[in-house]
Amino acid sequence: MDERKIKDAVNSIEMSKAIENRLKTKCFDPNREKSRQINFKKWGSVASAVGILLLLLINLPFISNYGNSQMATFTITAYAADNTGHELLKEKTTFDLATLERIGVLTSISGDGDNLIFTNVSLNVSGENIDSIFYEINKGTFIEDVILSKEEVANWDKLVLEKINYLTNAPNSEIFQGIKYIGNTFTVKYSEQQKYKYSLAIPPHNSLEEEILINVTVTYKDGTSEQQDIVVNHESGSISLVLD
Amino acid sequence: MHQFVSTTEIEIDIDRMVDTYGNMLFRICLVILCNESDAEDAVQDTFIKYLSKAPTFNDSEHEKAWFITVATNRCKNMRRYNIIRRHLDINDLQLYCRNEENYGLLEALMKLPHKQKAVLLLHYVEGYKIEEIAKILSITAAAVKKRLQRGRELLRQNYREEEK
Repeated sequence: MDERKIKDAVNSIEMSKAIENRLKTKCFDPNREKSRQINFKKWGSVASAVGILLLLLINLPFISNYGNSQMATFTITAYAADNTGHELLKEKTTFDLATLERIGVLTSISGDGDNLIFTNVSLNVSGENIDSIFYEINKGTFIEDVILSKEEVANWDKLVLEKINYLTNAPNSEIFQGIKYIGNTFTVKYSEQQKYKYSLAIPPHNSLEEEILINVTVTYKDGTSEQQDIVVNHESGSISLVLD
Repeated sequence: MHQFVSTTEIEIDIDRMVDTYGNMLFRICLVILCNESDAEDAVQDTFIKYLSKAPTFNDSEHEKAWFITVATNRCKNMRRYNIIRRHLDINDLQLYCRNEENYGLLEALMKLPHKQKAVLLLHYVEGYKIEEIAKILSITAAAVKKRLQRGRELLRQNYREEEK
């Protein structure tokens, strides 16, 4: 392309007489001012600041004094041997382990039972409009203490089928106590918590490479859900639970 | 000692400047901004700056370069703050362009990115050398060369499409 054409084309543009006159008049006007352009860069920053402020205002009710997200609206209570409820908090709640004696007389049904500490610590959730609660433990399992008769104990196949892995009984007694494996997860209806009260069985602290976590997720009647995590620590002769 | 300049002297001076550089600045600003009122504003702001700063020039070339620098910087700022990029309609071109044959080329030129457009205008229309353009636009000579080369390529491409 001939580059002289560019010059000719551009030079063929002519400013109109009206613009020329306006320029002369406006420039000479003592009250003249520069043309105003909307400074999007500046207004962009203002808009961002307003946006952040709004976001903070909207989220303020959900932020606690410590800057963490507000606690879930349900509370978790732990029960141990004395049957006294202890609401779990950010501070440790410690329970003595009264289960060590029981371990000594356990009989393994399947013969390959895990090396677990059977506690009698169970959990209960309180709140409003809760439909169901889902529990999940990353290490160990949930267990249920069951009472069995001599006849029931005699049917080992059934015991295996029902995942009753351990048996214990007082000397010369025909009443047996069994430990039923529930698994590492279970879901319970809010109104049926007393009926399905499962305890924790956790690995001994010296066999652990990571902390034990229990995730508690509640589903409300409107379909929404909330969750909290519990950190479980097994110390010598005791077990402590703390909200994560 | 204060030097008093009468109102009439200022009036004569601005008339002279608008007569000398008005058309040239309007052309540059119109091609860069692709909008008549924006181009008028940019030219007006350039003359206002001239009046408020009252710069002294070594010669007429220095004077011309100063006006071009201020006008192109003003265009750059205006484009930065105008989110919606406007393009001059071919019908609007008829208002400013005398020769109908040039419409296609002007449209192709206006569609170029600002950087290439300014360099092409200064080189091919105002006849500035690469080093002079580098000084006016405050960029390196290498950058001017690169923009010229890229601008030529894009213009050829745009122009071919316009002609189809």
